[in-house]
Amino acid sequence: MCGPADPAGAGPGPAGVRAARGAFAERHFRYVALSPAVLLLLLIGAFPVGYNLVLSFQRQTMFSTDTSFAGLVNYRELLADARFWQSIGHTVVIAAVALPLQLGLGLAMAQLFAGDLPGRRLFTALLLLPVVVSPIVAGAAWRLFLDNAYGPVNQIIGWFAGRPVKLLWTVSEHLVYPTVILVEVWQHTPFVFLLCLAAILAVDKNQVEAAQIDGASGWVIFRRVVLPAIAPVVSMVMLIRFVDIMRIFDMVLALTEGGPGRRTETLSLYTYVLGFQDFSLSYTGAVAFVTIALMSTVLWLILGRLEGGR
Amino acid sequence: MSRRVSFGFWAPVAALLVLATPAWAQKSADQVAVEAAKKHSGATLNVIWPAGLGALGQKNYAAPLFKQLTGVTVNIIEAPPAQVYVKTVAEHRAGTAAYDVVSVQPAWLADEAEAGILAPLDKWVDQYGFRQSLRDIEPAYRDNWMTVKGKIMAIPDDGDVILLFYRKDLFNDAANKSAFKAKYGYDLAVPTTWEQFGQIGQFFTDKYAPQLYGAAIIHDAASMQYFFQERFRNAGGRFFDVASMKSQINNEAGVKVASQMQSEAKFMPPGSENWNPVNVLTAWLAGKVAMMTWWPPPGRWSEGYGTNEEALKWVPESKVKGKVGYALPPGGRPELALGWCLGVSTHSKKQELAYLYIQWVNSEKISLERVQLPYTLRDPFRANHFTSAEYAARWPGAKDYLDILKKAAQVGMLDLSVRNTFQYQDSLGKAMQRLMAGENPKQVMDDTAADWDKITQRTGVDLQRATYQDWAAKPNAYPR
Repeated sequence: MCGPADPAGAGPGPAGVRAARGAFAERHFRYVALSPAVLLLLLIGAFPVGYNLVLSFQRQTMFSTDTSFAGLVNYRELLADARFWQSIGHTVVIAAVALPLQLGLGLAMAQLFAGDLPGRRLFTALLLLPVVVSPIVAGAAWRLFLDNAYGPVNQIIGWFAGRPVKLLWTVSEHLVYPTVILVEVWQHTPFVFLLCLAAILAVDKNQVEAAQIDGASGWVIFRRVVLPAIAPVVSMVMLIRFVDIMRIFDMVLALTEGGPGRRTETLSLYTYVLGFQDFSLSYTGAVAFVTIALMSTVLWLILGRLEGGR
Repeated sequence: MSRRVSFGFWAPVAALLVLATPAWAQKSADQVAVEAAKKHSGATLNVIWPAGLGALGQKNYAAPLFKQLTGVTVNIIEAPPAQVYVKTVAEHRAGTAAYDVVSVQPAWLADEAEAGILAPLDKWVDQYGFRQSLRDIEPAYRDNWMTVKGKIMAIPDDGDVILLFYRKDLFNDAANKSAFKAKYGYDLAVPTTWEQFGQIGQFFTDKYAPQLYGAAIIHDAASMQYFFQERFRNAGGRFFDVASMKSQINNEAGVKVASQMQSEAKFMPPGSENWNPVNVLTAWLAGKVAMMTWWPPPGRWSEGYGTNEEALKWVPESKVKGKVGYALPPGGRPELALGWCLGVSTHSKKQELAYLYIQWVNSEKISLERVQLPYTLRDPFRANHFTSAEYAARWPGAKDYLDILKKAAQVGMLDLSVRNTFQYQDSLGKAMQRLMAGENPKQVMDDTAADWDKITQRTGVDLQRATYQDWAAKPNAYPR
């Protein structure tokens, strides 16, 4: 118990109160300081989600601004909407193929560039060029490259084949997915490469040298020393790329417009069509909300596994 | 005597009538619009217009002239053609006054009118004496593209129609004629059926490929769905069964047309399965194809009309000058595909001025100037356009060109225009892509019909039935 004469000044007297307040402020200052920014971010993030949720229980379209409660009508329709589920399937296919390719290529290049490669800086800078290109520009540019009448790709293949080649990259149902995945891998592998390179360069050199002294091969060193060391970074890179691919929109819009037919219509593209071409506003709200819920669940599960793995 | 009495009676009456007639009755529509618009000098009108060549007619000609005559600035806001609708609706939903004058495709007219985007124009049409002038517009455009439920919601601005262009030199070649007759048993002539089109196309490809192919058709989704609409109706198809409002595009006629369209790619240039309008135009002007269906402008450009203009520098030099014939596409009822009208936005703060601009640009005098601008993508749609001696003298075959355009306008068929037209068009366009990707035509049309049914269900069957019946009752909806 502290009395007025408490030399430490931590008692209930004025000095003690000041000290207690000081301690409280010190303990909670970070929360106080951060709260405006956090509140603002929550507002920015939560408002559209909340608005979407409200919208999804209405029947607003281009013609109707009816804001009365419509129950689960949009969600029932969504469950039976084959195009919605197909668009998820298309997106997952792109992610399932492009992600491992980006990881494999990115890691391989990073390992290569981590050594004493002549002209490493120049090549690194060149390799990063696709990342700085806007996806819609990348899609449009590749559409031109692959154009069967004027594009150079078919011409180059034709030189090797010794005859004119008219591969319909964005029309043929057999070629359109390889095309989308090619462009996706071309554009975003450098991002994976860059972060993996940074992680590899940060691996403790002593561990690598110790393994070398023990006679471990290059592959064993990579698998047993480097990979475990960079695993947290690689996991986060893959998570970022996964989220990005699940939102893939502009590149596909420019490259295939979701075609032929709706064969490459991704989830984001379908949502865009619903909202900005069909103006099915409330239904778009339902689709957006379900997408957010699905993605949040998947991310929560992945993050949980990553946390558990540490 | 009686003559004198008669004259003595009627002369003052006539004089009184002349004096009592509004001032606009003595002036042309463009003059009336200019006089009235001068009161708004200093104002700015925002006009959304399809981007590219079409907008140049406004930016280079109409807008500067209107500014000079009235002091009103016309700000042309360009958007990709398919996005004009999207942007217009989005701005309307947001309640902005971003656009005063709205470019409208006739197929969207019902949607935009019902959504309250467009203001009725009747009161201004009467106030500024434009009704008489509107009668001069070709009936197909006037009677079908302007009104919704009896009210004038937009004024036609472009006489779009699909034509068949063919190489007269190849069709008139004696060796071709005899070889064709020997193979197919009838004379080589401009095809009047799609079966003939297929045989003639195959014939030229067999003989001339790879230097020249039988035909080229635009295969991008947005354009190709118009060609399906045209051919489906020429084959006797109807889009919906009125009783059930179930889509009929997968009936026998629909599948037959889809199959034909798919198989025709075999005699077209390799890789043309996704050719857009520019690809087809380029092949045509380079003399690489014997036949082509397109909107009217290549008729002008083939003859080199205006291709020395800066705006048309991208158009390849024509190698078919003097060799081009114009005809109605097989089936004989071409699609009045696309087309543009102008309307006034209900959110505009300058609605009357917006109307005056529309009256001015569509007046006999100004519109005749505009359709003769080689780069505008604006095609004749008024009587004085088709009969203009000035236009007919633009190149040696211009008279034939104007004649076929008039004929096409008389027998042309309207784009389907119901509620949510954009969704039906998009769905049909995707079907065309699938055909070009080689998918089974029956399956494609079945899927698309199911898709259409869903759109109809979402829109409301009864509502859509009423809209469809209104559209189908128009004289140019189906062949009669």
